[in-house]
Amino acid sequence: MGRLRHLLVGVGLVSAVFLTGSNVDYFEEQLPSTMIPIYARTMVDRRAHELVFDRMFYRSAITNELRSRLVERYQVLEGGKKIKLVLRSGVKWHDGKDLTPDDVCFTVDALLNEKNPSNDAKDYREALAGCESQPKENSAVIAFRKIYHNPRERVAFHVLPKHKFDSSQISPDDDFALRPIGTGPVKGSKGRREVSFSSVPNAHRRANVAQLQLKEGGDPFVQVRTLINAGVQGVIAVAPPLRPEVAASDDVALKSYDLRSWWFIAVNTASGALKHQKVRQALDLTIDRSELRELTIGVDKDDPNPPCEFISGPFVQSSPYYNRQVKVAERSDRARAGTLMEQAGATKAAGRWTMDGAPVNLRIGMNAPLDTEARDLLNQIGNQLQAGGFDRQVYRVTADDWNRKAVAGQLKDFDLLIGKWSFGMVEYVNPLFHSRKGGKGSMNIFNYSNPEVDKILTRFDAARTDTEARDAYHDLHSLLAKDLPYIFLWKLDTKSAWRNEVRNNTIAPYYYFTEFDGWTIQ
Amino acid sequence: MKPRVHVIRWVGLSVGLVLLLSLALMAYFAPDTLGQADITRRVASPFDLPPFGADRMGRPLLYYALQGAAIVLWPSLIAGAIVAAFAIIAGLARCAGLAWFDTLLQIFSELMGALPRMVVVLVVALAMPRDYTSLLPVAIAWAFLAAPGAMDEAATAAGRLGGSRFVEALRAHGFSAPRIYLYHIITLNLRSVVIRQAAEVVMQVIFLEIALSYLVQVPPVQPALTHSEEFKSWADILYLGFQTATGGNWFGAGSLIHALVLGLVLVAMPAVMAHAFRLAARER
Amino acid sequence: MVRGAAGILLPLIVPAIIAMIIWGLPGDPATTICPQGTCGETARQALIERYSLTSPYAFLYSWLSRAIFLDFGISPVTIAGKEVWALVATSVPNTALVMLLALGPITVGTFGAALGWFPRQLDAVFQGIGVVPAVIFALFCVAFITIFDLGGIGAFGIPMFEYDNWEVSPMKLLAGGLVLGLADGALSGAVSGTRSVFDTEFKQRYIGIAILRGERPMVNAAPNVLPTLIGQFRSRVLHLLSGTVIIEVILGIEGLGDLLWRATLDNDYFVVLGAAWGFALISSFLLIFQAISGVVVELMIRRSPSVPT
Repeated sequence: MGRLRHLLVGVGLVSAVFLTGSNVDYFEEQLPSTMIPIYARTMVDRRAHELVFDRMFYRSAITNELRSRLVERYQVLEGGKKIKLVLRSGVKWHDGKDLTPDDVCFTVDALLNEKNPSNDAKDYREALAGCESQPKENSAVIAFRKIYHNPRERVAFHVLPKHKFDSSQISPDDDFALRPIGTGPVKGSKGRREVSFSSVPNAHRRANVAQLQLKEGGDPFVQVRTLINAGVQGVIAVAPPLRPEVAASDDVALKSYDLRSWWFIAVNTASGALKHQKVRQALDLTIDRSELRELTIGVDKDDPNPPCEFISGPFVQSSPYYNRQVKVAERSDRARAGTLMEQAGATKAAGRWTMDGAPVNLRIGMNAPLDTEARDLLNQIGNQLQAGGFDRQVYRVTADDWNRKAVAGQLKDFDLLIGKWSFGMVEYVNPLFHSRKGGKGSMNIFNYSNPEVDKILTRFDAARTDTEARDAYHDLHSLLAKDLPYIFLWKLDTKSAWRNEVRNNTIAPYYYFTEFDGWTIQ
Repeated sequence: MKPRVHVIRWVGLSVGLVLLLSLALMAYFAPDTLGQADITRRVASPFDLPPFGADRMGRPLLYYALQGAAIVLWPSLIAGAIVAAFAIIAGLARCAGLAWFDTLLQIFSELMGALPRMVVVLVVALAMPRDYTSLLPVAIAWAFLAAPGAMDEAATAAGRLGGSRFVEALRAHGFSAPRIYLYHIITLNLRSVVIRQAAEVVMQVIFLEIALSYLVQVPPVQPALTHSEEFKSWADILYLGFQTATGGNWFGAGSLIHALVLGLVLVAMPAVMAHAFRLAARER
Repeated sequence: MVRGAAGILLPLIVPAIIAMIIWGLPGDPATTICPQGTCGETARQALIERYSLTSPYAFLYSWLSRAIFLDFGISPVTIAGKEVWALVATSVPNTALVMLLALGPITVGTFGAALGWFPRQLDAVFQGIGVVPAVIFALFCVAFITIFDLGGIGAFGIPMFEYDNWEVSPMKLLAGGLVLGLADGALSGAVSGTRSVFDTEFKQRYIGIAILRGERPMVNAAPNVLPTLIGQFRSRVLHLLSGTVIIEVILGIEGLGDLLWRATLDNDYFVVLGAAWGFALISSFLLIFQAISGVVVELMIRRSPSVPT
């Protein structure tokens, strides 16, 4: 048996050498849903778009500076109400045409066009007012709806080629969604199970890797085995339970991917017993985060550097917005939870809480794809709550339902929803907690509404300095930890794995491939 | 009847019934949840936690097996019964010489036979409201889709008897209509086809449940299509074993090879049961 | 007659039924692309108009009126931007190849059982193989192929359209064909089904008479059992066809089944209908084949067998 396995591994290795050559193949969680950047819906989309397109401005993964590959210089006009961007000359699209200011203004028009079904465009529509092209100066002037103290961060969109579209109304089923033209280091072509990228030298960028292929992941276990056996060179996200196996291999290295994502249980503050703040606090104390982490993610409780870090508010601990005054409850405290429940008017009989004559029954949902990272988390949370005296039913929610209904505040038949939010360098949480009105609170899961919270969020929007912004979010953190529209769980490190043949592979936060030009293969 | 055939039929019937009874008992004793995790029993072998060992969270694999049986028992039997009923109706219609009914059944069967089965099954599963997720609607849909094959075969078998001429001949012998249809046609002549087809559909529905439960686990993970989230399917046992089998760590620490063995044994159960009933229903 | 007519009408009826069924599913392409409340009602309405999603009838009418000119539209979700026609055209050869490979064991089994090539003792072996469900068999195949990177060996493609290649991975196809042809009792069913038909027929009185006349029973029984065998064969092919969904999804074969599965989960009506039409076309062909075979056999019988003098 052992001999046969060695023979097969040998055959696999030899075939991998012959087949891969200087190509780099990697497993993604799934295929990108589109290659049109304004229609990006998933993190996979954003990572793939980062390879093919350039953003106007980006943050360096090394120095964290705000930079641009397309803009030679910029000028803030009218005290931050406009920004003039002078484009670098010689930058070409993958089809050989020059990048012009018209392309920049076309992208702004496309983002502002209300007929384009873009989820991301909503934020841009709130910020951008229009764009004026100045071809003679090779510049574009972008106008904002209000003054921003950091206007460059408001124009960090991927630029689209005007000449590839008839108008700024772009259909999601345009051919461009399969064969995009960008100014990025590689051009792409999407198939049914893979996306092929090939390098295109340009005046401002040159990739060292000639061919790159994104493959659809499938079973995480098979992904890791394939990586170790050199069938692919990289895996974007390795599930925590499989990390020890990868770490044990001499040929593969685990690399951190800063996704600034945190896990939560959203609480329906308008439903039954959960209207009472004390009941929400009791739930928070019933959850044993430490046990959950050990069971579902496989974290060793003695691990000095666990991949999973508890949080007490809507920011990761490394964020400047995280309020360290608010402590994390790692273990459950059933006694205190019981006291809180009694204070809320609940009574316990035969181990079950009843309130207003009816048992406290919780319908718990979870975004189904999270099961890959934290196996059976839904049932474990259900079990803990049941052990704490709450009746429960558990359901997994499809990714489609999550995007279509949960985020839109339409899954009101649930009491608790388990999910995860991911952020880039800018952790803007206003859409999660602001009341749903006037276009605000667009990602408020249970339409939570608290005037005090709204006031703090408005303070953040009006902030002119980083200190003002930070103070506002510290207050938000403190208030949310008490009012508990969310039970905050943890930040789970995302780890990629790459074979050692791939060198200099700096992984940028959120967008991943921002520094792809420097990647080499040996 | 040849003595050997007689023995085979009785052995088939006994084995089939024993397996069916085992399945029913497993379903009866299935717990509502897998219970609390217990880290100290993580990946316990069958020797450490009899009879089947434990999963990665220390929950007994026995509970998985029992819950899996509870998921499949009634839906698969109902699907089998539906197919048997359709086959009997088709056979009787051919014997009764009801030409219009025969044509109607044929249209129904051709149409059903032409629908892409898995799509219909998937749509039925997806269309069920969250609180009513169960294998039953999927099994019924599958039974309707599988019915044309059974009906075709039953009608052909009845046709070989001579159709309406066979009935007339028996009437001429003075037999009553119930005796002709229930005994001579169904019991003596259609029994083999009907039971074989029904047994196959029972097995297919169980295999379908395993397939669907496995497919929803492949990323991007989907909600369970055939049971509530508190329940585990036999596919979950197989998936645990599959990881060990492909990882190569067959007998080392943390191996779940016992899960694979258990999964295969459970999968073999309906297959053997179906085969046993086929043997039991063999013609003389 | 009914069979022939059904065969001709199926490519129209099946999409209509499927359209009505998928309409009952929660969600639609417009909502998948542009969820209510997150990307703007104007954009959502524009999509609803573009895809004729105002009512199931409007959608079906719009789809059918273009489908008769073989214009199945463009996938809005599953492979956004790809013409459904191209997707179906590149999928059909893969599904057809898997089916052909799967039909190998089944055809051999049918002929072997009919002509007595296989001793009855072998039936137990076939039954044993058939016990393994396709899903298990396929899982092990995919793990083996993926981990040892065998999927690409000898893979080749043929340009079909401007950008699309028909790509095929022989290892995956071979695995798919074998799984489909052997697992879930496919081979054992073919053997036992054929045997049971012949066993029943050989008990008929005319066979006894034929034997007394010195004729071979097979020659006499064959025309009478052919319609049943063809019916069985068609039902097996349809069963295999539905099995391709699971096999293709697990093994990653870019066939019609895989397309249908993804499109149904994505609410991509255009791809679902295009692929269902592809399936209906295959079913229709099988039905017409069965109808014609029935007529030919009937004519053969009417011409009466030659009686040795």
